[in-house]
Amino acid sequence: MTDAMIEFRDACKRYGTLVANDHLSLRIRRGELMTLLGPSGCGKTTALRCLTGYIRPDEGRIFIDDKDVTDVPTHQRELGMVFQNFALFPHLTVQDNVGFPLMIRNLPKDQRTKMAADALRLVRLEGYESHYPRQLSGGQQQRVGLARALVYRPKVLLLDEPLSNLDAKLREEMRFEIKELVTRLGITAVYVTHDQAEALALSDRVAIMNRGRLEQVGTPEEIYEQPQSRFVAEFIGLSNFLEGRIEAVDGATMRVTVGDLKLTAPALPQTGPGQRVLLFVRPNEIELLGPDAPAGENVFEARVEKVTYLGDMMDYRLAFGQGLALRVQGDAHRRFSPGSPVRLRLPRIRCWTITSG
Amino acid sequence: MTLTRAYVRALWDGRMILGYTLLLSLTLFIVAPFLMIALRSVGKGWFYRLWLPPQLTLDWYRWAVEVGNIPEVMKNTLIIGIIATAISTVIGIFAGWAFGRRQMPGKEVAMAVILLPRMIPPITYALGVAKIFYTLELVDTYLGVALAHVSVCAPYGILVLSATFEGLDERVLEAADVCGANTIKRFFYVVLPLIMPGILASMIFTFTHSYNEFTLTLLTYGPNTVTLPVRTYLAVGDGYWEITSAMAVIMVIPSLVILAMIQRRAEPEKLVGGFKGV
Amino acid sequence: MTPHWRSHSGTLVTILLLLPALIGFFGLFFYPMLLTVFLSFRPEGQVTGWTLENYARFLSDPDGRWVILLTFILALGSTALSILLSVPLALILREKVRGHQFYRLIVLVPLVIPGLIGALGLLLFWGVRGWFNLFLTQLVPFVTGPVAVNYTLHGLIMFYVWLYFPYTCVTTLSSLESLDRSIEEAGAVSGATRWQVLRHIVLPLITPAILAGSVLTFMAAFGAFSVPLIAGGNYRPLSVEIYKEISVFIPARWSAASAIAMVMGAMQVIFLSLYMRYVRRAGGAGGIR
Repeated sequence: MTDAMIEFRDACKRYGTLVANDHLSLRIRRGELMTLLGPSGCGKTTALRCLTGYIRPDEGRIFIDDKDVTDVPTHQRELGMVFQNFALFPHLTVQDNVGFPLMIRNLPKDQRTKMAADALRLVRLEGYESHYPRQLSGGQQQRVGLARALVYRPKVLLLDEPLSNLDAKLREEMRFEIKELVTRLGITAVYVTHDQAEALALSDRVAIMNRGRLEQVGTPEEIYEQPQSRFVAEFIGLSNFLEGRIEAVDGATMRVTVGDLKLTAPALPQTGPGQRVLLFVRPNEIELLGPDAPAGENVFEARVEKVTYLGDMMDYRLAFGQGLALRVQGDAHRRFSPGSPVRLRLPRIRCWTITSG
Repeated sequence: MTLTRAYVRALWDGRMILGYTLLLSLTLFIVAPFLMIALRSVGKGWFYRLWLPPQLTLDWYRWAVEVGNIPEVMKNTLIIGIIATAISTVIGIFAGWAFGRRQMPGKEVAMAVILLPRMIPPITYALGVAKIFYTLELVDTYLGVALAHVSVCAPYGILVLSATFEGLDERVLEAADVCGANTIKRFFYVVLPLIMPGILASMIFTFTHSYNEFTLTLLTYGPNTVTLPVRTYLAVGDGYWEITSAMAVIMVIPSLVILAMIQRRAEPEKLVGGFKGV
Repeated sequence: MTPHWRSHSGTLVTILLLLPALIGFFGLFFYPMLLTVFLSFRPEGQVTGWTLENYARFLSDPDGRWVILLTFILALGSTALSILLSVPLALILREKVRGHQFYRLIVLVPLVIPGLIGALGLLLFWGVRGWFNLFLTQLVPFVTGPVAVNYTLHGLIMFYVWLYFPYTCVTTLSSLESLDRSIEEAGAVSGATRWQVLRHIVLPLITPAILAGSVLTFMAAFGAFSVPLIAGGNYRPLSVEIYKEISVFIPARWSAASAIAMVMGAMQVIFLSLYMRYVRRAGGAGGIR
């Protein structure tokens, strides 16, 4: 028994000239919550539907629990799924909705009632058995969807942007509930979303997709702190990009020339002088110092161009070097006004580089 | 598995083929009668059990025109149609305006009531209409038959035009006011162009219904006001299928043309609309 | 500054606008209907007096009762068959198979064709020398002679289906298309085969629309006139019977015709209200959108 509960092996799906999934290869471990994250059209929903069987990949294979399920029809795959628009059966009560998978499996009525009640208890909706979906709020409906997906204890739970139709506060609450439930039950979960905050908060690992391809797979920390590509760096959180060239490598650090400025950054393995690189640093990791701050490693002079007050912080646009611009977010207690000269420091360990070109 | 279960299962598995079979059979089912009418109308010597007429001829059309009086009948149909359309459109514009833009308690009830002449079999109130027309000497007059048609045509006009007026964006009118137009100018330069498509649609619907109207015409017509549907019906009574077919073809071509035209513009499923809310 | 056209006497303007429609409605529909009611209670051929004899004569005559029964047989039979035809058809059409737009148009054809023409074509096609019987006698083994379709009861019901099934089909199809596909996906993921999804999820949800559409078919079939007039043969439903009273008899029997018309109207209203109550109850339990 491998440790991969789900595996996409070179899965491809095309719609005419549009490539929705481009040689997708991904392994999802047992018991982990993997999020497929990316902008609309990146192929994450297509990938999910290849898992359900609603879509058949043109090439490649899909494995669930070590079995090749590529040719297995949807209703035999024994999965649970939660939908963005809840997809509850409007003509059935909550109890019948939750018990539907059991009814299909021809379980006797008393067992169905008991299992449905257990599932409703899991999602904290006891007492709503005789309600109809239209009588419930969005959050309650989604819980019913969750109960219906879990009632027959599937090994895999799929979630297709389940919280997108809920308001922000409810989203946060339900995030934790879903994570806690999935962990407690030991279910492997595949979560699809375009909301990066959700992805970072919930997941054991995140797979970032762009235009049908996997950009990077890693833990939320890895994704956030060590993006492997410009796309990932841009997609997760805010980023500043500086194009530069490696000038010299010195053990664990290297010197990078950006325009006419010299920065020190952690060394990039397998690179040498002359290599063009892209340097990222996050706006909230740049230190803003007064114009008289002492010089030092990665300390530069800059001028404030634009100031935006965001309540809990200030958002600055700074010009420095020759025609370079940086976005910096700083403490709201210490404010700089437009036009004022400042110094900024890019902490070495916060400078992340990837090769470019 | 029992025999029936196996049979149903086979049907279900073969549902792709079954589906296409159903669609093709349906097409045949619907289209074949028209083909037969068309062929009968040009067939010569088609007495025996042949798939196609042995010879083609336009004799029947010629007969219809020369002896069957089709040009006269066509003239009647068109005149009556025009009168009915004119009256229905006027009714429709005013009533549509009221339904579409003015406050009215019980609007839905009123709308349902407007549709009653179409819901209730026309034969039931046609009796009353005929009786009244006899007294008023409106039988066998263009105006009389046209008025009889109005009862089934006007509801469509009202429906279409109330939707048109409802869709008239008040802000456009306000903009016209702000630009300095008085009521008359605004009506001719702004309102009329905006409702013109609706008026045209209503006229087409109404005219088509008058053109095809049979039941009410049957009870209010006379020798001077024989319309195409009635003439075709009388030909059936005479027993000459060929003549009848020729008249039927003459009658149906315009409808099909209009259907083709409408289908390109609007959703044909809306033809059924107005019956919602049952 | 109020625009000119929004007058203070709003109600008066509204009434003025509605006046042509009201006149038309009353003059050409409501008053004639009233007249029919009155006539039904008038002794035949007389100008004054009230009587129930017109009703009595029609309802006590076994032929009269047969006419009522026939009208219901035709209407109910064609409605039931229309449902049987429309539901699979709608299920197929919504899959957007190749050429589905063409087939949707085909479904609409009977709606725009006057019943007279449709009946004529149907008579020609299904007649002894029509293609159907030619096909049977020439291309199908074991068939010795032509099959009678025209002027039979089953033939007439089929003609009705041809003319009136589109109402049911269109409403069913439109309801099917407004169904959220993800509900069916949820059913499939829950373990339901496509047939089970159809049976447990789709059909219950479109049943209200099927019933609503079938009401339209029923009403059209019940009130059908031109079709049975030329294709009914010896089968004369209520509408034709009414016409017979004033066209065949001399002098025309207006009172008798009116009585039959009233019976027809009453039957229709009673049936419809019973049906609507049933529909509402079925629709309510099934979940309203």
